[in-house]
Amino acid sequence: MDTTTAHQQMNPFDKLLDKLCLTPAGLLGLILLFALPYIPPFNQEYMLRWLIYCGFIAAMSVGFDLTAGYISIVNFGYAAVSGFGGYTSALLVINLGLSPWIAMAAGGMTAGVLGLMIGMISLRLRGIFAACLSWFFGLAIMGLATKMVWLTRGPSGLRTPRLFETDSNVPFYFLIIILLYLIYLACKWVVRSKMGLAFQAIGQNMDAARTSGINPVYYRVFNFTMSCAIAGVLGGYYAHFYGILTPDIMHTGKTVEVLAIAYIGGRGSLWGGAVIAFPFIFIMEIIRSSLSNLPGLNLIIYALVLILVMIYYPGGFSYFYDTNIRKVKNKALRYFFNGRA
Amino acid sequence: MSNKMVVNFTSWIKSAAGISITISILVAVFAAINSGPYLIVNTVVTGGMLALVATGLTLMLGVLNIAMFAHGEFFMIGSLTAYYVFTPISEFISENPESFVAVIGPLIAIVCAAIMGAISGVVAEKLVFGPLRKRSTDNWVMNSFLLTVGLSVLLVNLHQLIFGADFKGIVGYWSGMPISIADVFISRDRAMAFVISVVIVAMFWFFMTYTRTGMSIRAVSQDITGAQIVGIDIEKIVLLTISLACALSAVAGGSLLFMYPSYPTVGLEPLYLAWFVVILSGLGNILGAVAGAFMVALLKAITVEYIGAGWDFVIPSALIMLVLIFKPSGIFGSDVRGALDK
Amino acid sequence: MLLEVKNLDAGYGYLQILRSVSLNIDKGEYVGIVGPNGAGKSTTMKTIAGLIPPMGGSILFNGEDITGLVTSQITKKGISFVSEEMNLFVNMSVRENLLMGAYIIKDKKVRNDRLDFVFDLFPRLTERKDQLAGTMSGGERKMLAIGRGMMSDPKLLLVDEPSFGLAPQLTANVFESLDVLIKTGVTIMLVEQNVTKTLSVTDRGYILENGKIGMEGASCDLADDPYVRKVFLGV
Repeated sequence: MDTTTAHQQMNPFDKLLDKLCLTPAGLLGLILLFALPYIPPFNQEYMLRWLIYCGFIAAMSVGFDLTAGYISIVNFGYAAVSGFGGYTSALLVINLGLSPWIAMAAGGMTAGVLGLMIGMISLRLRGIFAACLSWFFGLAIMGLATKMVWLTRGPSGLRTPRLFETDSNVPFYFLIIILLYLIYLACKWVVRSKMGLAFQAIGQNMDAARTSGINPVYYRVFNFTMSCAIAGVLGGYYAHFYGILTPDIMHTGKTVEVLAIAYIGGRGSLWGGAVIAFPFIFIMEIIRSSLSNLPGLNLIIYALVLILVMIYYPGGFSYFYDTNIRKVKNKALRYFFNGRA
Repeated sequence: MSNKMVVNFTSWIKSAAGISITISILVAVFAAINSGPYLIVNTVVTGGMLALVATGLTLMLGVLNIAMFAHGEFFMIGSLTAYYVFTPISEFISENPESFVAVIGPLIAIVCAAIMGAISGVVAEKLVFGPLRKRSTDNWVMNSFLLTVGLSVLLVNLHQLIFGADFKGIVGYWSGMPISIADVFISRDRAMAFVISVVIVAMFWFFMTYTRTGMSIRAVSQDITGAQIVGIDIEKIVLLTISLACALSAVAGGSLLFMYPSYPTVGLEPLYLAWFVVILSGLGNILGAVAGAFMVALLKAITVEYIGAGWDFVIPSALIMLVLIFKPSGIFGSDVRGALDK
Repeated sequence: MLLEVKNLDAGYGYLQILRSVSLNIDKGEYVGIVGPNGAGKSTTMKTIAGLIPPMGGSILFNGEDITGLVTSQITKKGISFVSEEMNLFVNMSVRENLLMGAYIIKDKKVRNDRLDFVFDLFPRLTERKDQLAGTMSGGERKMLAIGRGMMSDPKLLLVDEPSFGLAPQLTANVFESLDVLIKTGVTIMLVEQNVTKTLSVTDRGYILENGKIGMEGASCDLADDPYVRKVFLGV
């Protein structure tokens, strides 16, 4: 996978996996995710709802990581952009009678346009300033969604038709897993191409990147647009899954949730957040529902984990996996298959 | 009147700072004529307190390179402390309304808020930022920013868990007739809040400009190696800065308790507004932050007056984005690139 | 012996640059360290000043072990470091910069005396008292950095690459000001790339190559040494 010679020697199965941006362990994980609704404790509807939420945050964290991990700009208005996509989608369905599926795509597109705008106006800003600008942008959009009551019904929420006309959560679950995988695949393809290198160059040192002939305008704007379009599609999914949309989806707290998952998972890896979201959010939901007399305890644990990870393991889970588990596992597998290490 | 001063003045008026200050003053005067002087009173009271929070934020950014997301939580700590200190005091006052405690009591509560803010700042440095600084300073701006995000979530939910999510407010600090200035009645609490903010900002400015310790804080913000070379103990300055910054925020929380009762997310609004100020006015400039605070307060007051409550995030943030597009370093910021641009 | 460095090892992270460097300076001496780029001259200075933690060996100042102390403590012992990048406080005036140089002196009167002393040494700085350090020219900034180093009344002044980034005329000015300083009785250790110039002004010299002390001796002897002439002076 690393060099062209290795590429030629690969067997067809590995080649296919490589095209699909999966490792054998990743494939196993994906299969496990698809099988999950049939495995006993998880086949209950309320657990599926939690898992869907896990999948939603996981997919959001992949899109978020495309900006944060590659061009090193924290899009602090990410949840707002996602909510913007959700509202667009919901309003299209309600007012124009479009099918939710088409509306979802349209939500993605409008959110992408929004991302284009954020990317354009934040071009001259760096680091924390760009983060602040996207944050203010998000606050402004959230303010609009709250105040334009004639359109969005404000805090009382918008009733939206669901994607599937059924009470079961299973199709929604499969859909979010497929979306998660497609988003991951799209991002991975982009960062594997020449563009990924340009992203990293811009993220590490914009001036150096510019002097070596990379046009930061194009790449930064493209990155923002793509990442925000992903958020928009997911916002549409969110709207048409829960059936009710309030401006809360745009709250900074939601961005923080996505951000925490992306960073705990390991920034710049894309898959780290997706993998860590499932166990982590799931456990948080268990804590929240079983200790309802101690409100906020799950968020305290959340914050503590984020703080500890940032201090002691800023590379996150993906770094941990790459340095500690992958090597040992590969060694063990080689021994198991070949009889020698 | 020398000619040089006139030239200086015209060039200042043409600079971004001059233009924006002139426009703000004009707008303020116009709004006051149009809808009554209470608008100015609101602006001045909010602006004064906002100046405290924003100066703390500037300090954290300029000296420690920490983009503080948890600054509002120190506001919350301040208001919470003031509430728990002032509640028994107010009971005592209602029994003995004539005693001197009626005058001193609120001040005690506010001072306690400041002390508590400083202590919690030191604790945050020792438990959160210090360990990160010791381990590695690569990617410091981003990593420390994420730490403050975690800290913010932690403090908000600890408040909810321990003290509950209900509003913990007081009726007022100083009772008595409102003060009237030129047909405008200002409640004593508001007047005192303004006085407190003016006194503290003035003291703080004096401290930073003329004292040896204040100068060493500025030195650290400008060149940390240079500061080490001249013999400044960086650890000490870091602790001092963080406790000062947090105390400033907590004082604001304490003195505004009569307007903003304490609840877990009370710090969110001051945080947004303080960030508006810091980004608008540029970094590392205390007087700029003060001017920016009044501008943001004016913007907020005018938006609420003419467009309606709830729009006060939309309009200011849109305007600030416009400013950022044309002057990325902020109105009062210099074009010298700082450590934050990494 | 004012400063005694014994078998010093130092470097950045895993990269070791200095290997067992030993040198010493007597009170009132003017000592130069010369050598090619990347030999470890600046690293030696920074390690003595405490900006880089030493990996091994020891540094004695006035007979006291200062190995591994942080910079601010070392400054308080009486070593002042004028770095290559100068590290001035760019948004402060010249006067404020100089006063910050006397940070370790608590007595206000003594601080003002030192200020007068430095202004006497560098009349140029007096003219620009209220100008911001960031707006001055390269030569003036260098002067200010040296002046700031003198403010704390150091026993030993470490000067790192005073000619770095300066035009020849300005370099000459800076060397002149160092000459003035040495007459006031301060001990100077100078690191320079300009070998000829350094060996012509200093009393004694060390030649640092690949992180090791290659030669040492009186500056005039070193300047006449055939090896030095061949490698550094190209004669």
